[in-house]
Parts: sequence; C-alpha cells; structure tokens
Amino acid sequence: MAYQMESSIRIEQKKPRKKAWTRWAIFLILLIFSVFALIPFYFMLVASFKPGSELIRYGINLKVQPDIMSWKNYGLLFTGKEGIYLHWYKNSVLITLLQTSVAVFLSALVGYGLAIYRFPGRNILFIAVLVVMMVPIEIMMLPLYELTVRLRIIDTYAGVILPFVVPPFAVFFFRQFALGLPRDLLDAGRIDGCSEYGIFFKIMMPLMKPAFGAIIILQAMFSWNNLVWPLIALRSNEHMTLPIGLSSLIAPYGNNYDLLMSGAVLSVLPIVILFILNQKAFISGLTVGAVKE
Amino acid sequence: MRKVILSLLVTLLLTSMVLPGFAAGPTTLTFWTFQELHKTFMDDAVETWNKNNPKQQIQLKTEVYPFDQMHNKLLISLQSGVGAPDLADIEISKFANYLKGRNPQLVPLNKIIEPIMDKLIKARFDNYAKDGKYYGIDYHVGATVMFYNKEYLDQAGVNVDQIITWDDYVEAGKKVVAATGKPMTTVEVTEHWTFYPMLSQYGTDIFKPNGDVILDNADNTKVLTFIKDMIYKHEIAVPAPGGFHHAEEYWAFMNQGGAASLMMPLWFMGRFVQYMPDLKGNIIIRPLPVWKPGGDRSAGMGGTGTVVTKQTKHQDLAVRFLEAAKISREGAIKTWTLLGFDPLRWDVWDAPEMREDNMYTDYFGKDIFTMLLEIKDEINPTVITDKYPLAIDLLKKNVCFKALRELSQTPEEALKEAAKELRQ
Amino acid sequence: MNKKKKASLLSFFNSPKTAPYVFVAPFILFFLVCYVYPFIKTIIMSTQQIFGFNDVEYIGFNNYRRLLNPHFFNALKTTSSYTFWTIMVLIPLPIILAVFLNNPATKGKNFFKSALFMPALTSVIVAGIFFRYSFGEQPTTLVNTLVGFFGMKPRVWLQERGPAMLALVVLCTWRWLGVNIIYFLSGLQAIPQEIYEAAAIDGANAWNRFFRITLPSLKPVIIYVVTISIHGGYSMFAESFAFWQTHTPGDIGMTIVSYLYQMGFNDFNMGFAAAIGITLLFIVMLINLIQLAFMGFFKKEGN
Repeated sequence: MAYQMESSIRIEQKKPRKKAWTRWAIFLILLIFSVFALIPFYFMLVASFKPGSELIRYGINLKVQPDIMSWKNYGLLFTGKEGIYLHWYKNSVLITLLQTSVAVFLSALVGYGLAIYRFPGRNILFIAVLVVMMVPIEIMMLPLYELTVRLRIIDTYAGVILPFVVPPFAVFFFRQFALGLPRDLLDAGRIDGCSEYGIFFKIMMPLMKPAFGAIIILQAMFSWNNLVWPLIALRSNEHMTLPIGLSSLIAPYGNNYDLLMSGAVLSVLPIVILFILNQKAFISGLTVGAVKE
Repeated sequence: MRKVILSLLVTLLLTSMVLPGFAAGPTTLTFWTFQELHKTFMDDAVETWNKNNPKQQIQLKTEVYPFDQMHNKLLISLQSGVGAPDLADIEISKFANYLKGRNPQLVPLNKIIEPIMDKLIKARFDNYAKDGKYYGIDYHVGATVMFYNKEYLDQAGVNVDQIITWDDYVEAGKKVVAATGKPMTTVEVTEHWTFYPMLSQYGTDIFKPNGDVILDNADNTKVLTFIKDMIYKHEIAVPAPGGFHHAEEYWAFMNQGGAASLMMPLWFMGRFVQYMPDLKGNIIIRPLPVWKPGGDRSAGMGGTGTVVTKQTKHQDLAVRFLEAAKISREGAIKTWTLLGFDPLRWDVWDAPEMREDNMYTDYFGKDIFTMLLEIKDEINPTVITDKYPLAIDLLKKNVCFKALRELSQTPEEALKEAAKELRQ
Repeated sequence: MNKKKKASLLSFFNSPKTAPYVFVAPFILFFLVCYVYPFIKTIIMSTQQIFGFNDVEYIGFNNYRRLLNPHFFNALKTTSSYTFWTIMVLIPLPIILAVFLNNPATKGKNFFKSALFMPALTSVIVAGIFFRYSFGEQPTTLVNTLVGFFGMKPRVWLQERGPAMLALVVLCTWRWLGVNIIYFLSGLQAIPQEIYEAAAIDGANAWNRFFRITLPSLKPVIIYVVTISIHGGYSMFAESFAFWQTHTPGDIGMTIVSYLYQMGFNDFNMGFAAAIGITLLFIVMLINLIQLAFMGFFKKEGN
C-alpha cells in the first residue's frame, strides 16, 4: 500500500502547484459538509441547557448563553411528567437488546443455511428473501396490526419486534458473507463427529464474527430509531420508546420543550458514544455487504 | 440466548406491574385526553368527588397524548375490543368516526343528561348524539369572540365599541395598520377557526340539516372571499405564523404583540393565559362584528366530548363521575373558574361564582360574563353529519390553505372542489 | 425403546438432508406469518368496507375505484419526486465525497468520515426537531438567515410545495449522506490501484480516469444504493411525520404511506388503506424491475 501510494504520488508530481490547490479545495468541501452534518448535534446540546420557551420565542439559536443555561432540563428528565422519560429509555434499551439479539441470531442461522447447503427449495427461498427485501413493511401494517391485536401482544415488546425477527436484509448479508466460508471446514467438522449445528456454533460462527459485528450494529441502530411500527404497536405512555415518546412532546395542545431537547440529547448520546468507541466496526460493518454485491 | 430469556422475563414482570392493582381502596379510572388543561380540570373534579363520596374513592390515571395519536389509538382500541380507557376526550371534528358502524363502542349517557335537559344548551349535546342516544358531554358552548389588543387600538384612535359591522372592522384595521404597523388580525390558513365561525355567524353552514352539502353556496364563497380580501386587498390581516392559532410560532408572535386583534372561541382565553403571558391586561374581549345590522354577534365553535367507553369495568361509576365533573352545578361552574369556558348549563350563568375573581378576570378584566350573557342567543347551531370529519379535514388542508395561503385556487374553486368530494 | 426413538430423532434432525431446513425454518415461518399472511389479508381487506374487526362488508373493487382521487395522485407525485430528488442528490454527491475521501493526499480523513456518518445514528424525530425549526418561517430562523445572505426574502418553507420538498430532501440528505459515502468508499477501495496507474501512464487525466474507471467499477454499488433508495423513497413516512405530523397543509408533504396511515389509522378506513398498500406494492415492484433491467442487472445474472 505504502509503495503504491508512493508511486502514484511520483506520477502526480508533474504539477505540484495545482495539486496543492485542489487538495485545499477538497479539504474545504469536506469541511463544509462535516459542519452541515455536525451543526444539529451542536444545536441540540446548546438548546438542551436553555429554557424551552427560548426555542419557541427565538427559534434556533446557536449562541452559548451562560446566563440562561442550566442543568434544570436534565433534572426534569427524572421528575417531569412523573419520570415518564425513564420509562421510555428503559423500553428503548430493552427493545433494542431483545430485537437485535433475536434478529441477529435467527438471520445468521438462515443466511448460513442458505449459503452452505444445497437443498431442494433453496433457490426459491433465496428469491423470497430478495423479493421481501423490496417490499416495504409499511404495506403490511394493517393486517400485522390486526394480528398483534388478535395474538394479544399489542402494546408489548413482543408486538414491537414481531415484524423484525428475521430481517431479510440481515439474512441476505449473512448469506453473502457465509458464501466465502471455507467449505472444507464443513467436511473436517463432520469427520471429527460434529453435528451440523455443532459445526455452525463451534466452527463457523467464530469465522462469521465480522458479519455479526456489522449486523448487530445495523440492527441496534435500526431498532433504537425505529418509528413507524412502534407508533402503531405501542399504546400506553409508559410503554413507548424514545422516538415515539419524544414525538409526543411536540404537540400543539401542550408543549414540553424543556423535556424535549434534553431528552433528545440523551437519546442520541449512547449510540454516539458507542460509535466513537467502535468507529471501525461501524464502518467496516456497513461495507462488508456492499463489497460483496 | 440466556440474555434473551432473561429480558423476556423482565418484560413479563414489567407488564404485570403495569396491570391494574387488585388491592382494595380507590377505584382506578383511566382517562385519555389531548389537552393538558383538561387533565387539570379532571384532577380537580376527582378531588371534589372524593370529598363528596368518601366511600367510593376514585383515582384518575390521565394520559395526555398528541391530538392525532390519541384519536387513532382510541378508535383502534375501540374497534379491536382491547386497550381502551374508561373515559376519553374526543374532539368534535373526530366524533363521527366513533359512531360509524352498527354498534358504537361508547356508553349512552341519556340517563344523566335527560333529567336535566331543560337546564342545558341542547344543541351542544346533539353534536354527540346518534339515533336519540347521547354519547358525549362537551366542556363548553364555545362562543366565538374578538380579542382586541387595547394598546394598539388606542394608538390608532379606534374606539372598540364603534366597530359594529365587519366593514367597520376593516376600516378600523386600516387605521391600526397605518398607526402601528401591525396587522389588525391573523387568519388561520391550515386550520378552520377563521372561516368556519365566520360562515356560521353569517347564517350558512357546511351541510343542510338533511345532510345535503351546501359548502359551495354563494354565501360561503362570499365569506371566504371576504377573508381573502382582508389579507390581500385591504392588507389588514396576515396568515397566522405557523399556519394556525395553536402553533408555537403563533404564540411567540402574538406574545410579542404581533397583531391587534384575534377572533377565536372564548376557550382560547386559556391559551392567552398560558402561552401569551406578556399581553396580560392589554386584551379586551368583545362580541364579533356583524355581517349586517342586527345580525348575529357570535358562533358556537369547537368542542370536545368526554365519553365513557364500553370497555370500562366500572361503567356506573365512570358515568356518575362524568356527570359530577361536568354537568352538575358545581362542575359547570368549575368549567368556568378553572378552564375559562362558557358552561353548558345556562342556569349557572348568573350564579354569583361567575362574577368572582379568577385568573381569567385578572388577565381580561371583569366583565367577560356580562358580555357573554348578551350574545348567548346569537349563536347558530352547526349541522354535524357522518361526513363531518372529512369536511373539517378538507376545510383545513385544502380550502383554507389553497384559497388563503397558496392562492392556487379562488375561493369559489376551492369550495367547489371540496363540496364535490363531500358529495361523493 | 425410548432411547432408540430419541436417537433416531436426533439423527433425523442431524442428517445433512434435514439440517438445512432447520437452519432456514425461522425465515420460512417469518415469511409466512409476516409477509404471506398479511399480503393475502391485505388483498382481502382491500375489497372490504371495514367498520370493525368483526364488522365487514364486501364491496368488490370500490376501494380501488376510490383511489382515483386527487389526494392519491398528489401523494403519488410527492412520493415520486421525493424519491427522484433523493436519488439525484444521494448518488452523485456521496460518490464525489467518497472519491475525495479515498484520495491518499486528503488530510483528516478519519474525522470527516466519522463526522459525516454521525447523522445516521439519530432518529428522524430528533433530526426533525432541528430541521423543523431551521426551516421555520420567522425571519430569524437558520435557513431564512442563510438565504438572507444571498439577498433572498424570508419564506414560509413548510407551507409551500417546492420549499417543502427541499426541506424533506435536505433532511434525508443529512441523515443518509454519510452512509452512502461509506458504501461508495468500500466500492472504491475494491478497485485495484494498478488500473489507475496504468491509465495514468497512458496519459488519462483525472476526469477520464473518473468516468472510464471509477464510475463503471462502482456500478454494482450504485445499483444497490439506487435499489434501497427506491425502497426508502417510496415507503417514506417518518420525514414527513417529523415536519408536519399527520396534517400537511394542502397535502404538500403527504406521501403514499402517510395517506395509508391517515386513512387506515386516523379514519379507520382500513379497506381503503389496504387498497393503497397493494397499489404501492405494485408501484415499488415495477419501478425496481425497470431500474434493474435498465442497469443490466438481469443480463449479469444470466451469465
């Protein structure tokens, strides 16, 4: 790599002045887009320390004003509206854990099965996965809603995760990844007396670790931020997740902006921290699938 | 895997904790609303109830949801037979949705309404009735009035009591604009609280009592054109910032003295007190200007019916509590003292409590109720059919928006198009 | 006897013939419960007038006939132009930025990558709070101040058709730009460096190299991103919800899924909503097939 870079630089050396100019232009463009990406985070942080009435009166204001800023809004998260925010937080955490673990485990099984074995019906199943990937789940909302009502899992965690227990995208992803697994390990495992499942759990799963990392992150992000289905499947205030709870604070007949901004900051914080700690895993996770396309 | 099972167990545990307790003591009733102020009112009513009925205490668990979300959830809970609360607020423009089908999932309230019907404003109960059964109890009459900013009128040298007709109002508006640079009023362009009261006051309506659609008749076109002219021809009005009178942008605008007057139902007083504190002492309330001499000076607008759902396990208690909270003598008076609403029982209108000081008289002055009594017979009934939710939706999203804000259609075209859809 | 049975059961499940089905069983079940059943049910519902869950009436194709109304066509138009614009922005822009980020001479790459990716971590609702106020109508809001620099007058962004679409596309761009950059970056990194070197020696300039080598090599990634963008564009609801909840003035921000949501859940017009859903499904399928055919996806499969 280093050698390649060197050689490409040598080739470009002909017009050094122009090169420096473009380099600065590129840097500037990237900087502008990064500022565009980061400003909302900065704003939320600043606004979360100001009284909610400021937002209503003056709209978005990026100034740091120590005289009107305080931790009060963060205190409100524990006391405002009888501490409902903590319920939302707990629900979001539990639903994300539950949905991610179930979805990742099941789709790994299926993706692996589709990639490793040749069996009658395999192609049809894979086509089913591809077709389902193109079907927006929103179309199925009405009967799914009826189903959750009839199963008596409306307004429960089970109801929220039902349409996402074997996400087709994750199945596809695991299948693509598992295609690259060395098949001779399968035979080796069989000779050693491993069962088919033993081979999966003991030999193959450790090899699929990068795929797991990626899908766990994608699923957790999806689940943490999911809006449409939970909006329908959840009913009572204390069962709501963060996005729905927060959206319920923006209503014309009773605004709670004090709670809204600090609540939004704390809802973004864990996933941002996770991201900053594991940037490589996040980014390489996303790309494993794309490269394989 | 163990984690999964564990979290499942935790989930189960948590849900079981949320289920109603079995211990004796106060009966828990649940109540859904979309309006924080109604929660305050009901909490107070529970306190009164518990004082008067020490043997049958109530604990009210109120959930305040956003407007749409509450109505959706309630409708679906009722249709699917699970998850509905004992009591709920349903806004008048949504009510017909809950009476669809062969079997409304609401408890008829005739038992508590009929015995005192002679003391009630009957029209307000007919809004929530079907086949002779009353399903909801409103909070107020909803007389529409004009809120004037006295400071601006004085600056412009306008005497508020000389504004008799809408034409006078427009002339006064021109003076105000010239003297203060502020618009005379604001007009709702994404909601219907400007057009609808004015057409009702004019004496026309969306439907005829037999259900025929008359939204596109000449009178309605004239009213809508008049509103449009206030904005674009006379330039005394502006579209409400945020589009409607309940937007945060609007409260901010108004609180800073954005416009010299505002037409809304009397219940909007609560919004002034809560969201526009800086205008305290500056706002005076007057009847509406009339369309022609001797015409009506108000219109009955809005409303929210509180209902008891069929899913309640304490039907009798819920119904009796609702009666005590809203249509008993004390309850009716409380709708005024706590919420600033015009009570549904006219027999309390001259009660001494109505003249006492409260936060509304502090804000608006003392003569509110005298003024209200003056115009009580100048309120036309409005016709409500099962197409009403669609009609209001079309008024908000299409008619007012396209004719007053977007200007993509003339008032006539906008009304014709909406009427056509209503007739389908 | 019992032991034997157990053993034979075990070996049955463990046989390489059965095992694959055990592995894929969760998907089969899921497919039946969450796709096949709802799909059939939606078709049935679309022929009904539904008053309550157990109170229905068959009305044939009436729901589909009712679809021929201005609201639906408006929603279709809004959704299509949203999809169109998001693709127009979210394919070229991230490709260019990815090329910049892939340039070994660029400084601060890791910072830029992280910064651009951060928005993908937030929910639409949280992002919507910021953008709703940025696009507010007071002259002091962020966007109005910004256009003020260019001498433009303040606008009521969220109540006009064009500006409202702009707001939606900006929100979408903010959230997904970083993700698409990552996709394209991975595509770029898979292109062997030697090809560029060979081209450079042949005297190809930067433009030539970009159009002759980079773009064609990125084709599979572009197909992938276009496919998910069509999917995301046509099923868009959350962005519109973040700006207007469910009442958008003049239907300017009402998408097909918002229409479905409003009809189904606001008005409990489930049968009609089901007809909207089925129609949407066919539209998405059709557009995806056209797109894939256009990109030559099937030709490749044929080989």
